[in-house]
Amino acid sequence: MKKIEKAVADQYFREKNRYMVLYLIIWFCVSFGAVLLAEPLSHISLGGFPFHYFMGAQGSVVTFIILLFINAKVGDMIDKKYGIDEARNVKLSEGKTVDH
Amino acid sequence: MDTQFMVSLSIILATFALYIGIAVYNKARATSDFYVAGRGVPPVFNGMAIGADWMSAASFIGMAGTIMLLGYDGLAYIMGWTGGYLLLTFLLAPQLRKYGRYTVPEFIGDRYDSHTARVIAAVCTIIISFTYSIGQLSGSGVVIGRLFEIDAKLGTMIGVVLIAFYAAFGGMKGITWTQVAQYVVLIIAYLIPVIFMSLQLTNSPLPWLSYGELVGKMGELDRELGISEYFAPFTNGTKWQFLALMFTLMCGTAGLPHVIVRFYTVSTMKAARWSGAWALLFIGLLYLSAPAYAAFSRFILMTKIAGSEITNLPAWTKSWIDTGKLQLADGNGDGVLQWNELIISNDIVVMATPEIANLGVFVIGLVAAGAMAAALSTAGGLMIAISSSFAHDIFYRVWKPDATEKTRLSVARWSIVIATLLAGLIALNPPGAITQIVAWAFAIATGTFFPALVLGVWWKRSNSQGVIAGLLVGLAVTLGYIFAAKYGGFTILGIIDTGAGVFGAAAAFLTNIAVSLATPAPSQKLQEEVLDLRYPEQMTYKNGDVWMNTDESAKL
Repeated sequence: MKKIEKAVADQYFREKNRYMVLYLIIWFCVSFGAVLLAEPLSHISLGGFPFHYFMGAQGSVVTFIILLFINAKVGDMIDKKYGIDEARNVKLSEGKTVDH
Repeated sequence: MDTQFMVSLSIILATFALYIGIAVYNKARATSDFYVAGRGVPPVFNGMAIGADWMSAASFIGMAGTIMLLGYDGLAYIMGWTGGYLLLTFLLAPQLRKYGRYTVPEFIGDRYDSHTARVIAAVCTIIISFTYSIGQLSGSGVVIGRLFEIDAKLGTMIGVVLIAFYAAFGGMKGITWTQVAQYVVLIIAYLIPVIFMSLQLTNSPLPWLSYGELVGKMGELDRELGISEYFAPFTNGTKWQFLALMFTLMCGTAGLPHVIVRFYTVSTMKAARWSGAWALLFIGLLYLSAPAYAAFSRFILMTKIAGSEITNLPAWTKSWIDTGKLQLADGNGDGVLQWNELIISNDIVVMATPEIANLGVFVIGLVAAGAMAAALSTAGGLMIAISSSFAHDIFYRVWKPDATEKTRLSVARWSIVIATLLAGLIALNPPGAITQIVAWAFAIATGTFFPALVLGVWWKRSNSQGVIAGLLVGLAVTLGYIFAAKYGGFTILGIIDTGAGVFGAAAAFLTNIAVSLATPAPSQKLQEEVLDLRYPEQMTYKNGDVWMNTDESAKL
């Protein structure tokens, strides 16, 4: 066991949260935002779709999927930056399973 | 119809044989295998299993029809049921995985160190999952009934026997791999008719790109008929109802116990992140296709069926009219069927469209098999959630802590059998429409588990008094609003019973925070366990410091 500087540990948590807040802002805009602005957006057309319909049926869903993959990848990169070894995580979580 | 019957029966039996074969092959032997598949399911396959668990009879059979009938307003289901995965994957899944418990009530009970909270959470899990499974069982009854031309009640009973068999004997491991197979069957069954219709109507094999022009065209047809355009927003409810429903479906997604438990089957927090991403990709395939399915069905009905002579309708109309889900009446007596003289139930759109579009016996049979896969897989996951809440959280953790592993396993199996039989009994005469029952289950999850879990993971100050008050108030407000809106005609901003979760969640968050602040903080140990969830497995929070495990043997 090695102690980590408090500043470094906080930095890890903050960095993860900063990305998460960013993703959630985008998430909010493409879903709730697009619905709130449905009437004005309906005058724009995209590939035959009125734009508000496109956002509801496809734009939002595709954005969600992309955000989740970016989150997974960025999460891995942050872990790597702080020297987290996934193989050790696997071993540790095996050990941490509650023994019933 | 005889050829159709034989083809459909063979496809369904072949897929059932596959599921049961996998369940028997993986017959669980140890308790930890029974609940969470030994925690070693790779993220891609776990994503497929989440997808199958997630996509129920309501998604497979009901959603495209709902969108067809509601137009833009139906898209609240598309965004709500996909957007919730972001809340789940960011806010809850990896953290709950690190906490390392078997079930959601167990997390709540241990995090808040309260047997009362544990029992309330277990009861909420049982209420949510049980309500949800009634919808699944009655959905499978409709499919089996329609297909084999037997009474829907008899169909429901067949479904009950099947679910009880493989859920009780396979356990979670059986279900995980069975659900991977079910995902593959149901997604193929959904995509093939959409792609065929796309080829028929637009000459493009990519329905997702090609149906836009039909949406525009239908708007023109609607204008000619003098009805509101297909894509016009908020024609079936207020904007606030749309937003409230979407919020309820999103937070309910993040709070559904049978979905969260899936994330306990992965090895680490990293695997939980990836499982969430893969799951939404696999789910998104169906959700991106449902509006296309809806558009193609509506276009075919508007252009090929409406306008035909009433005495000369295609053969498929008769069998669906017999089910009472399709009404064709020549209201103005001119001998021609007009669009507004055609009333179709949203539950039959997906099942009937392959017949309407003349896609052949094989596709029709495949769609039936896919619908069965959707209903059975979700019901299986729900039954595991119910049995683990009872056998594990109530029986073992509170009632009989000294029970042997053998006793616990047998209690788990019997609770599946009994819960399935009870749900099946109610499904014979369901208390409401399937989509309505499913929406209530989501509203209850939004009003109870979503606030309790989010605060439990992200706010160390939240304590047992807070969570108990929050769970009870959230449950009461949600149920109260559902009943007041449905039976009392009481609404706020036009939000009806399906959007009730927004009020339940707000009340539960406020109550949890207010009561927690008014009562003593949780113990130092509990607070440290919450702070520990900020970091990956290798980092541990202890006595105000974070420690990195660098020990080569990696043993704590």
